[in-house]
Amino acid sequence: MARTLAMFTDTSLCIGCRACQVACKQWNELGMEVPEWTGTYQNHAHFTDKTFRLVRFVEEPKPTGDLAWLLMSDVCKHCAEAGCLEACPTGAIYRTQFGTVNINQDVCNGCRYCVASCPFGVVAFNETTGTAKKCTFCDDRIQNGLGPACAKACPTDSIQFGFRDDLVTKAQKRVVTLKGMGFKEAQLYGADSQGFLGGLNAFFLLLSKPSVYGLPESPKLPQRNVVVDSLLSIGSALVVGLGALLAFRERGKGPGDA
Amino acid sequence: MLKSPEWEMMIVWYFFLGGIAGGAYFTAAIADNFGSARDRAVARVGYLLSLPLTAACGILLIADLGLPFRFLNMLGKFSFWNPMSIGAWGIGVFGLFTFVSSLLSFSSSPERVALRRKIGLVGSIFGFFLASYTGVLLGGTAQPFWGEARLMGALFLASGASTGMAAISLILFLTGGAAGEGFGKVKKADRYSMILELVILAVFLALLGSAARPLTTGPMAPLFWGGLIGLGLVIPLVLDFVGRRARALTAVSAVLVLIGGFLLRYVVLMSVQA
Repeated sequence: MARTLAMFTDTSLCIGCRACQVACKQWNELGMEVPEWTGTYQNHAHFTDKTFRLVRFVEEPKPTGDLAWLLMSDVCKHCAEAGCLEACPTGAIYRTQFGTVNINQDVCNGCRYCVASCPFGVVAFNETTGTAKKCTFCDDRIQNGLGPACAKACPTDSIQFGFRDDLVTKAQKRVVTLKGMGFKEAQLYGADSQGFLGGLNAFFLLLSKPSVYGLPESPKLPQRNVVVDSLLSIGSALVVGLGALLAFRERGKGPGDA
Repeated sequence: MLKSPEWEMMIVWYFFLGGIAGGAYFTAAIADNFGSARDRAVARVGYLLSLPLTAACGILLIADLGLPFRFLNMLGKFSFWNPMSIGAWGIGVFGLFTFVSSLLSFSSSPERVALRRKIGLVGSIFGFFLASYTGVLLGGTAQPFWGEARLMGALFLASGASTGMAAISLILFLTGGAAGEGFGKVKKADRYSMILELVILAVFLALLGSAARPLTTGPMAPLFWGGLIGLGLVIPLVLDFVGRRARALTAVSAVLVLIGGFLLRYVVLMSVQA
């Protein structure tokens, strides 16, 4: 396997220009959507089947009473342990040689289990194609040696594309720098491959707690409980079976008598 | 912000009918193997009921896909711990069992009866599977409440058994088979299942705590407390108790159990997605 590719989104550099969001739409030919009122400059409110990159505009109250802008260009995390990939019953969702997660549109049959299983609410169902959609990490571009459209378009290098190990080193240095500048809450999200979901191949530098950006503090693989749930169901089956046996059993007769 | 899979009425019906099919088949197999000759009607009704219901389940599942003509892609791989994958396989296998058992339910030759009994016991495993895996499937998602509900599969199984038994007793009542001893036995087994369902439901809610709020408070609360627990579990148990000699009352209780089984799937699916 090739070295894992990644995108590092440094939110401290984001100016909210949305070049990434537009570049993503253009390159991937994602159609127009009716905008919705979100109460901020952010549009759309959530990822959709036609919005794979989404700049979040978060207003955080400062101790002085003012509001501070927290800008974050959000995207599919291409998790090392991906809920959508585990959920897919058709094999349509697969991991590429670069470590990214893709949906094969020719195989997906639209069962929507992946939609229910993404801990970040990324995967979305497209009514027109009848399939699940999400960021492809611009698979067509990276197969041809180009970076993802969003990273290419970013004018401030808030979105960086490269080998994961290189980017993690860079990101760690950046956190130290920012902390020195007084950004006490500066932290990486998903950079640690020993951390949640085995690490994210699209990871982030945040300036506040993940929950402030609407991110789960410690997302978990949704399938982790299937074995326990199954065993509890078997236990329930045994009790139900015993009850029915008691109700139907003929005293003094063997099972074979009729 | 999580996304709901938009599993709506077709899936509610699928969960409901799958529970009845699995429960009815397993009840039939128990009656067939361990009951008396007078319980034969229970076995036949149970087997014959599970066949069309399982077929309906398959049709509902396929129709709910974004691209129904690609349903065979579900069988493109077999992932043992993936409920959606193993579920597609499980419905197919269980469908075969219901078909063979239904055919054999018309036979009275001793060899075929013996074969039917053995097939019934093995098929019951798949019946239990169909009744419960849907709960495990919800427990394996990232959705609030579903993903935290450890006993969803166990709960669906108890409800599936109970609704399957209620469906059999109702058919026996409507076709005049209620005079037989089998009717009383199915109702008795149904009472056991309902009591188990209530116990599981209590533990389910206790374990979930505040995570159960989409169910216990808000728009779904009247259907949950009044519909499922009141109308679908407590009242049928009371009716069965006071009306042990009045078969019409126990038939009413069977109808209520079926309504309760439907409401369970409805409130669970819709509480998160509404």
